Amino acid sequence: MEKVNKTESFSKIDIQSLALYIGAVLIFITFTILCGAYGKSFFTLDNMKNIINQSAVIAVIAIGQSIVILTGGIDLSVGSIVGFVGIAGGLLLKSGMPLMMVIGVVIICGCIIGFANGYFVSFGKVPAFIVTLGSMQIIHGLTMVLNTGRPVSGFPSELRMVVSAKIMGIPISIIYVFLLYAIMITVMKKTTLGRWIYAIGGNANAAKLAGVKTKQIEMLAYVFGGLFASIGGIFLLSRLSYADPNAGMGYELDVIAAVVIGGIALSGGKGSIGNTLVGSLILGMLKCGLQILNVPVYFQTIIIGITIIVAVYLDKAKERKAE
Amino acid sequence: MAENILEMKDINKSFFGVDVLKNAQLEVRPGEVHVLLGENGAGKSTLIKILSSAYKKNSGRILLDGKEVNFHSPKEAIDAGINVIYQEFNLNPYVPIYENIFLGREFTKYGFIDEKKTIAEARKSMDRIGLKVDPKTLVGDLSVAQKQMVEITKALNGELKVLVLDEPTAAITDTETAELFKIVRELKAKGVGIIYISHRMKELFEIGDRCTVMRDGEFVRTVTLEETSEDELTRMMVGRSVSFEKRVNNHIDEKHKSLEVTGLCYKDVVKDVCLDVKRGEILGIAGLVGAGRTELAKCIIGAYKAHCGTVKVHGKELENVCICNTIKEKVVYLSEDRKDEGLVLIHGVNDNIALPNLSRFKKFLLNDKKITSVAKEYINKLKIKTSSYKAQANTLSGGNQQKVVIAKWLCIDADVYIFDEPTRGIDVGARDEIYEIMYELISNGASIIMISSDLVEILKMCDRVAVMHEGEIRNTFVNDASLTQEKILSYALHGGAH
Repeated sequence: MEKVNKTESFSKIDIQSLALYIGAVLIFITFTILCGAYGKSFFTLDNMKNIINQSAVIAVIAIGQSIVILTGGIDLSVGSIVGFVGIAGGLLLKSGMPLMMVIGVVIICGCIIGFANGYFVSFGKVPAFIVTLGSMQIIHGLTMVLNTGRPVSGFPSELRMVVSAKIMGIPISIIYVFLLYAIMITVMKKTTLGRWIYAIGGNANAAKLAGVKTKQIEMLAYVFGGLFASIGGIFLLSRLSYADPNAGMGYELDVIAAVVIGGIALSGGKGSIGNTLVGSLILGMLKCGLQILNVPVYFQTIIIGITIIVAVYLDKAKERKAE
Repeated sequence: MAENILEMKDINKSFFGVDVLKNAQLEVRPGEVHVLLGENGAGKSTLIKILSSAYKKNSGRILLDGKEVNFHSPKEAIDAGINVIYQEFNLNPYVPIYENIFLGREFTKYGFIDEKKTIAEARKSMDRIGLKVDPKTLVGDLSVAQKQMVEITKALNGELKVLVLDEPTAAITDTETAELFKIVRELKAKGVGIIYISHRMKELFEIGDRCTVMRDGEFVRTVTLEETSEDELTRMMVGRSVSFEKRVNNHIDEKHKSLEVTGLCYKDVVKDVCLDVKRGEILGIAGLVGAGRTELAKCIIGAYKAHCGTVKVHGKELENVCICNTIKEKVVYLSEDRKDEGLVLIHGVNDNIALPNLSRFKKFLLNDKKITSVAKEYINKLKIKTSSYKAQANTLSGGNQQKVVIAKWLCIDADVYIFDEPTRGIDVGARDEIYEIMYELISNGASIIMISSDLVEILKMCDRVAVMHEGEIRNTFVNDASLTQEKILSYALHGGAH
């Protein structure tokens, strides 16, 4: 009797956790059919590469955001970091600094911003929403000040190659994305650091009494937030070979959407970082597919909004049932 | 009129594939105090939540006044006359009493709330049960007993057929309890069916008429309380008899002090505390809630930074008392509050057990297989009832949750365990199992400090008892035949001055 129950409950859980992938496949099939009906093609190698390529920036920033959200926090400053990295990196490049060094410098800048965010959240006890809302404004303002609000352009061609080079026909940005995800999935699932981050989001008091240095770890989460935001910024700068101080504005919302669609709870402690990649790809697929179908931009926004709510609604099915 | 005001028949409920209620039943007559008795996890709360429609039942029937009812929301149940007063009150602490009483039933005049009338009505119904405070007082400023009275007032405002009181005396004083019982008797006289849940045997016999015992989600028996005894009820609940006698402890190593604390101070809640515990010994810390016992424990492990004083482990003074150090020195603390401090409720049993022990499972990366096998080992060893080793901790009953907390620290193989209220809110059977675990620990050479408000437990388990009063240890007794509850209590209440 008991055994039967066990297998039953396991198979239920499996369907639940597969919902995200089923959803992704369904969206994919829908677009393939719809595009076919309008005499356009969705499922082509170029389109697929495009989707991943365009999702790459969001997907990479979403790694850091996932970590922050898993601790129960939020990082609204990631979009402004993208803009900052573009302008600061662009100016440094123009001044003649070697490319690799520029990349190193802006990544360190991102980490410092994350460190500051994290310090005020964990040691300063200021709510994450407030801290990062403030730092978002500060960083955006700084970006404007740096080059008096003007864009930077005219970069050497090697900049573009950072993400656009190809290895055996595969754009290198795709490889970066999968590599970064592979590393961070391992960190989150297979190291003490990852477990601690989950524990803090699940119950910070219990984690503290279990010997976890909760404040330091929480701060570290925001450093990850800044780190991946700056890597995302480099991706964007390299892909466009053009730095706009307003670039990245609003990215924080896309990134949070990707994380949430991927099933990480905003309250923290629950969800898998690998699913964030699926969430980013779903967003990318929607944007790309709707563009191919020539759906007007405003309707695209509506459809994406609906997707976010439906995704979380489906995710909560189990909780509703438990009541 | 039907003989029973309420009948619940063949109620079944399962969570995540685990059966919590199996053909549970309950019959309550009008004007009766019907005690619902059972260990934690026996399914009492679930049954009540099904009655109040907070949970949906899988199958079964509920008859109110002989007519079958099927509520879709707690509000419908309340409208039909079923009111539940939970341990955690459903009151808004930030608004005054009168607003709480008439929430959802506000008096209005021209579409606006008629405050004067509401306050007057509130005062009337408060007078009826003898709650003598200004209706304009904020609920947050009231004592627990007063909040309870507000809840009862609220329940009395509509038509009341069945009133459920869930552990109503858990947090109130004896005088307040007497007050409460007066109200309960008045309601009884009016023909209300009262379901009374409590673990305190003495008061059950004082207030109850009949008693339904549940075990493992099943109905055991309904008995008339006059015709039964405490022992018989306990046997029905646990399925066996329980002893309260002090066991002889011959594991104490008089020469070796595992933990020595001297001159510990923290704010004004811990004042110059000295204590020591020997290898193989259980030291009890008695005292009232708020005497500084938990704070003392947290200072010892370094969760709170003590202003002065030293902590010695096996004779060696700790230089920096912080949690990660004390864990390394194998001094661990099991919190009184398993939900807030003991467990990550949304994580699996395995992850909870692994959390303080992660370094044990790691070479470069964590070894999941090892974590799983250790988790399974402790689930078997401590007889933790769970649907799977990775089931979320919040799907377990209180006693089983407490065992998970114990498991995660057992796994560390500590030398000194500080148990803070290890059996609070836990039923008799699981309690005994926890005591057994503690005996096993000391027989293996560990030391235990047990903070407890339950004097029966203190006298049963401890070799010495330190009594705290307002942050100080007023006396330390050897637990021999001459030590009584009264003696401990006099020190706990007023430091032994009288």
